[in-house]
Amino acid sequence: MQNNKDIIIELNKELSSLTDLTSIDQLEVKYLGRKGLINKLLQKIKDVPVNKKKAYGQKINQLKNEVKRIIKIKKLELTNNKTDEFFDATLPGKPYPRGSLHLITSTVEKISKTFQRIGFIRMSYPEVEWEYFSFDSLNMPPDHPARDDFETLFIDVPPAPKLGKMILSPHTSSGQVREMWRCGRPPIRMVSIAKCYRPNWDITHTPMFHQFESLCIDKNITITNLKASINYFVKEYFGEDYQARLRPFHFQFTEPSFEVDITCSICKGKGTIGHQKCKVCKSGWLELAGAGMVHHNVLIEGKINPEIYNGWAFAFGLERLIMIKIGLNNMRLLYDGDIRFLEQF
Amino acid sequence: MNIKITYNWLLEYLDTDASPYDIQKYLSLCGPSVEKVDKMGDDYVFNIEITSNRVDAASVFGIAQECQAILPEFGKKAKLKFDPLNDYKFVNIQKKYCNKNSLKVIIKDRDLCSRFTALVFEDLNLKPSPELISKRLTLCGIRSINNVVDISNYLMLSLGQPVHVFDYDQVKKSMMIMRRSKKGEKIITLDEKEITLSGNDIVIEDGEGRLIDLCGIMGGANSAVSNKTKSIILFVQTYNKNLVRKTIMTTGQRTEAATLFEKGLDEERVEPTLVYGGELLEKFAAGKIASQIIDIYPNPYFKRKSISVSYEFFNKIIGITIEPRKIKRIFTSLGFKINNLEDDRTKIVSVSIPSWRQYDIDIKEDLVEEVARIYGYNKLPNQLQPIVYLRQPPEIEKLFKIQSKIKYFLKYIGLNEFINYSMISKEMIEDSGLKTEKHLKLSNSISQEIEYMRMSLLPSLYKNIKDNSVKTRYNTAPGEKGVMRFFEIAKVYFKNSVLKDSPCREVYKLGIAVNTDYFDLKGIVEALYKELNINDGLGQMITNEIKIEEKNGVFLTEIDLQKLIDDYRQIPNYKPITPYAVIKLDKTFELEPKHTFQMIKKLAFQSNLLQKIEVVSIFRNKLSLRFYYSSSQKNITEEEAKRELEKI
Repeated sequence: MQNNKDIIIELNKELSSLTDLTSIDQLEVKYLGRKGLINKLLQKIKDVPVNKKKAYGQKINQLKNEVKRIIKIKKLELTNNKTDEFFDATLPGKPYPRGSLHLITSTVEKISKTFQRIGFIRMSYPEVEWEYFSFDSLNMPPDHPARDDFETLFIDVPPAPKLGKMILSPHTSSGQVREMWRCGRPPIRMVSIAKCYRPNWDITHTPMFHQFESLCIDKNITITNLKASINYFVKEYFGEDYQARLRPFHFQFTEPSFEVDITCSICKGKGTIGHQKCKVCKSGWLELAGAGMVHHNVLIEGKINPEIYNGWAFAFGLERLIMIKIGLNNMRLLYDGDIRFLEQF
Repeated sequence: MNIKITYNWLLEYLDTDASPYDIQKYLSLCGPSVEKVDKMGDDYVFNIEITSNRVDAASVFGIAQECQAILPEFGKKAKLKFDPLNDYKFVNIQKKYCNKNSLKVIIKDRDLCSRFTALVFEDLNLKPSPELISKRLTLCGIRSINNVVDISNYLMLSLGQPVHVFDYDQVKKSMMIMRRSKKGEKIITLDEKEITLSGNDIVIEDGEGRLIDLCGIMGGANSAVSNKTKSIILFVQTYNKNLVRKTIMTTGQRTEAATLFEKGLDEERVEPTLVYGGELLEKFAAGKIASQIIDIYPNPYFKRKSISVSYEFFNKIIGITIEPRKIKRIFTSLGFKINNLEDDRTKIVSVSIPSWRQYDIDIKEDLVEEVARIYGYNKLPNQLQPIVYLRQPPEIEKLFKIQSKIKYFLKYIGLNEFINYSMISKEMIEDSGLKTEKHLKLSNSISQEIEYMRMSLLPSLYKNIKDNSVKTRYNTAPGEKGVMRFFEIAKVYFKNSVLKDSPCREVYKLGIAVNTDYFDLKGIVEALYKELNINDGLGQMITNEIKIEEKNGVFLTEIDLQKLIDDYRQIPNYKPITPYAVIKLDKTFELEPKHTFQMIKKLAFQSNLLQKIEVVSIFRNKLSLRFYYSSSQKNITEEEAKRELEKI
């Protein structure tokens, strides 16, 4: 019997002279066809002693694969050489649809994931609310300015006993007492991201906007916990270079209350660009959010004993986060429904 | 609100080695936020934000008080040079009063004004202000007019208490009657605007029934100081803040004074303001006191409010230990008094609150805020609260998870997500053939465009397509130019017949709109259902459930999100791969109203050997279908399959 090696050498010799596919096909039949060389070799297996049949079979199979491979390569060489047309690999590929998600959607996802990692669950509460949940339960007296026609949108229906007028929730804090009622007993770790409404409409205000609220209630919650949570979020969302700071502020439903500033993204916290004052920020800081330790009256409304438990809460405007992050200066673009804006994201 | 004051003016009250920029930095961290410092000549102008609870700080003196508490924490010297609240008392000018009963005051309603003071001055010499006053006012954004008017503004900026000056001779019969306005009454204010009142504003009429003051907002033009003025009434009050706010809102007149009054002012600061005013009028306008001091103060402040708290409480809320000595220093520097102070940590101490903080400090936590902010939030460490495991309610988890899945899927197959306002116009509702009266309506909408809470996403999506059809786009693929496929997932709002926990029924919907054709939209929905593994089984498509509307070339559909959530399967039903032969048969049908694809399908699937149907081609009303027959038990013959097909 011929050696495998010799057969391959012979094959290569024969192939090297061929230049067209037809003759290669003929050669392929000669080797691999039904009556080809390989099959003939296989048929001889009946003459091989039983103890060597297995090895013989394997050897022939190896040969068969090798022959196939060599012929295939030769065929490919020929087909490629045959193309005369210029193949421009730099042309764009076949277009696939891209679509877009609203910036709010991607921001919501990012925030929920960030807070999920530190054990906060995302919840959802009504947008059309009662005054009770938006104001009374949050320690806002009936004559508080936020409750008048200029700050809150009202629904044209008669007020309900105890719950007051029907309104569009002007902030996500309306969910605070609802969450306390739902949980019954701390610990509470909640985030709520929802639409809010106020009667303002200009370049930095839209009548509908999104807030992101976070509420943490437990035993022994401190200002240092609040500070760390805000710091964690700012670094996760904006990046390690960004600093957050707390400043004293005033809200009815938290005490103490803070305003949260972050490093200005335009001047990188310097307050100046070249020799000019940064026009975007206040001396290197941008106001970002409101925060505070939950007011004990709010805990009481939530049926939580303020002598045992306390907590923190904060709320960010999503649009403001987005505007800072992507350098957008007209908030209305988010809701004007212009496809040329929306399709970019 | 924001105020402007100058550095040099501040130094009149404060002895400090802090630079204007130090003050900006440190105050912003621990107190009022100094948003800007501008160098103007040899002085610096601060622009400072004052929160609504800290109106006591809205003045040069108020900022000096804050500096005295804050700056030492940063190693800067800061001490009040004098305290107008103690130093300016009625007794200072007592010897100068005359006993002339030259002004008669009647207050009709006790609820209007918590403290009313007035003092008449005569023989005034009206002239331009001395440079010191006019320059400072100008730097702070107030136009200098003459010495008398300027003094009234100077007083307000110095002490935070607004002051008004009447021309005494124009207050007829030397009489002032303070009362509530009646609806429709008119007054012409100093700025020559005629204002029609809506009623319940605080006003003053003189002895001839003319309105001379819209209290808390602005004086009347008829009694204003002019160059002929010889005698004036210096007028310092604290008003009912809610009434002032109401007047601001109904008249739109938001003056600096009004912004202060609406926050509620400390009655105890009225006295020093009047006395300091007298001093300035005497000095710079040659005024002589020509009346008794009128001081109507029905509920005088006589005892400081106190709050009891333990040292431990400060540490518990703040999260670090702050030394009692430090706590004491902080309170004292802010004008609080702290009693029963001992170095025992659990010791309860009593903190008494100064008059100017009486409306702001109510509870223990308010005291914590004072200590924490002056100590410095920036010095507190970051300590995350312990992480606990909480179960998100499964229905909420599903809502967000599947919503997100749908959004990403639609984005990936090329749709654009929109978020529209929840409120729409009457026109949009009517255009869509919906009933306006079924919608929740806003009672104080700011625009007709956003008057009703939408009950469907489709009017907004239709508008999106129409609005965008004229715009040139960048991201579309060739051949897709002008093609629009938009979607939105949002709540719609239904009136609740019964008042429950939630005042209205809020239902999530998925809306899709395309400007292509019916089958494009239907294909999108079918693909989505497949993605969500809904009805993936035996080709039982959901065609019947999809309602597609057409309107002027726009195809729209709206689906209840909850339905998709309920039907969603994370993993589709498993079907064993059949080892038996599949027989493929083609057949062409003629479509007609009584003979639709849906009906063919329904009939075909009566065969339990049918695995699926494929559309091979459609030409006019000729529909060619391919049927796949097989059995899970055995190989079937072509004859058996044909028999099944014959039944259709």
